[in-house]
Amino acid sequence: MNCEVCQLKELEVEHFEIREVLRCILHTILFHRALGLVRPKDVDLELFEITYVQCGDMELERKIDEKIDQFIDRVEKHPNKKNQICLSFYEVKNKHATWFTNKVERLFWEHWYINLNVMQHPKTPSGKSHHSKLVVDPGVEARGARRAALEASLRDVLFQIIKFVNEKKDHVPSIPNVEGIPFPYEITISRCT
Amino acid sequence: MASYHGNTASEPAKMEQIITEFFAKSLRIILESRCPYVSSRNYSSEQVLLSPSPPSSSCSSSSFGLRDKSFNLALRDCPAALDNIDFWWQSNLEPMIVDVILVQRSGNWDPMNYLPKRGFARTFSGKEGYYYNSENDEFGYEIESEKIIERWVLHYESKQSGDHGSGVMGNKRAACTSSHALYNKSTLLLRSLYATVRLLPAYKVFRDLISSAQIRAYNLGHRVSSFVEPFTHREEADMQHFVFSPVDTSCGRLCLSVLYCSSVLDISSEPSTPISPQVIHEYVGSPMAEPHKRFISAPVSQSSPSSPPFGRYHSWNYDIYKVSPSSVNLSPSSTYSESCASMPKQLSHRFPPASLPNHTASETPPVHMKDPNFHEYWPSPTFSPSPSPSPSPSPSPSPPAYIPDSHILKALLRSESAPVGIPISRLSTLPKMPKNQLLPLSPSMGTSGRRVSKTDGCSGLYETGSMVDKLFTSAKDEAGKFSGVKQSSNSSSTKSFSRSPSRFSFQDHFDDSEFSGLFITNDDDLTEPSTRPGSFDQPGGLCPSGRSQDTAVGALICMLKKAPPLRPDISITTNLVQGSKP
Repeated sequence: MNCEVCQLKELEVEHFEIREVLRCILHTILFHRALGLVRPKDVDLELFEITYVQCGDMELERKIDEKIDQFIDRVEKHPNKKNQICLSFYEVKNKHATWFTNKVERLFWEHWYINLNVMQHPKTPSGKSHHSKLVVDPGVEARGARRAALEASLRDVLFQIIKFVNEKKDHVPSIPNVEGIPFPYEITISRCT
Repeated sequence: MASYHGNTASEPAKMEQIITEFFAKSLRIILESRCPYVSSRNYSSEQVLLSPSPPSSSCSSSSFGLRDKSFNLALRDCPAALDNIDFWWQSNLEPMIVDVILVQRSGNWDPMNYLPKRGFARTFSGKEGYYYNSENDEFGYEIESEKIIERWVLHYESKQSGDHGSGVMGNKRAACTSSHALYNKSTLLLRSLYATVRLLPAYKVFRDLISSAQIRAYNLGHRVSSFVEPFTHREEADMQHFVFSPVDTSCGRLCLSVLYCSSVLDISSEPSTPISPQVIHEYVGSPMAEPHKRFISAPVSQSSPSSPPFGRYHSWNYDIYKVSPSSVNLSPSSTYSESCASMPKQLSHRFPPASLPNHTASETPPVHMKDPNFHEYWPSPTFSPSPSPSPSPSPSPSPPAYIPDSHILKALLRSESAPVGIPISRLSTLPKMPKNQLLPLSPSMGTSGRRVSKTDGCSGLYETGSMVDKLFTSAKDEAGKFSGVKQSSNSSSTKSFSRSPSRFSFQDHFDDSEFSGLFITNDDDLTEPSTRPGSFDQPGGLCPSGRSQDTAVGALICMLKKAPPLRPDISITTNLVQGSKP
């Protein structure tokens, strides 16, 4: 079984948009991979006119929110860095039970890379000189244009997910008869290189 | 493919069933997010689909009970899909084309006709199917224009030969798709479909329709058929095409695609159709509908099936268009002002104050809310205990002056606010009435010194029996609804409401609670279906709008006549009033 990788389009987001954007993307991916019985839940983004779908699994929502919190903490600790969230699906293979370890091998069959470039607000120069220029707020129109562009980009990312899911079906393992997400997954946070 | 030789006979049947189910599920997903009036969003309970078994299927009824959970995607019931898919069982997997149509309407709004209208016709191919009425949409609007904003095409391309080994697409693994694999891939495809329908522009239109409380100038319809005329080049140039990757099987492949307009948002962003207020007389609980039950209440929609949420005094019933969330739902705030604007021409109708929704039954002052005449007599904003210019000054003690429409309008608009208080100094210790029944007195009356009780509920002069007739008949307070002294022509500064003297006599005999209750009861018993604009000016008598009102008024007058006189203070005031009149 081959491992498919999908690098999603990079998004430029502001700090307060991180949570909504990541929730939308992660849940959309997981909705396509939660191939057990789900009761879909439509969620409207507050910042954008986009409706995405969740699996309706509270435990999944909690885990995703935890990861998003970790991502936000990382962004705050390492500003001006491009950060990446990787959502990976794997199969558990070859449980090697030895005297010393109970190694479990994970065989990844899909990786999703979500690339976010978190914009930092320019700070007012701290110099005491009265000649220092004040940072001019971009204005309402500029913010609106940026928001609209981000919404369009986010919509593109969602369609990218849908296309990828439709084009790549053969690598997906058989769907066990369980509810929710039948495949184990992990979410990792890394820095873009 | 050799792995299921033992089940070879059932495998094609299974695959056909999967494909048929896929069609049904796809249709449901599409229509659920495109049909405003029959969307499953309107249904709170999850119902299991019940539909006839396909002839080629050997499935038991229990499998159809699981249909809403088919493909591991639990969906609520969608009647629109049900209606359309029932006939599709016999389609032998013919293409299914779902057109989502944006209907722009014009013409007079008919709030009475809000039930969905669906037709049943044959398509070009002779395939029967449901479609929405193209002459008038489900709300009775005349269709002005239709535009297909989405076209979903589902079809199964079957291979001619019995080629089991090689795949059409050259993918060996895809060609050897078993029913299990077909089911898994169909599941994935349906997930994508479910997400995609919510990302397309038409979804926003759908959400606007089901969530908006305003009447829109457009609506969404759908048409399911197996054959349609292709788009022209021009039409297709305006549309974008999204093709889902087909699901290959050993016998063919399952294809799904959509053509959609990206500019549909421009149409839907147009302002909603302005609604001209229409007064409905025969609403549930209206005097005209229930003449035996006399009370004054604000008009409600005729089609209102349930009682007004805030009691009889409220005219707007928010449940009017429960069947169709996107249909008419008059919001008091939007329509009330319009109602007030037209009120001068429709003085016979009642309009609730704009703050009606905030009132509760306990707070609603029956005097204020029920009697349109009360509104007519409602003091202008300039009214106060101190003299102020009368809208229609008349020094002669003629019947109460007719309040100009503008003042009536203002009064109505202000009716929700706290009533103008009666000067304490002029208030006597009459039995209490609800606070908001306080009404200012005319200056002439006010000079009597003691007009109205200081208490909350008191609202006006109290008249003895001899004065009752004149005041009562001259007041045009047909509803008799409030008990207030009819405003005399001298009350130039206080064009307050007029109250029937009878009420005060009642007040004299009953304590606060009893009076209030009686008051309310009387208000209920008295009817005032309409008042004519000039009615106040007609001396010498009321012009009840109906015999029932006459009877009620007469009964009230009789009671007043039999009632003992009020306090001497009141009588003094009465004399002053009498003296002011010709």
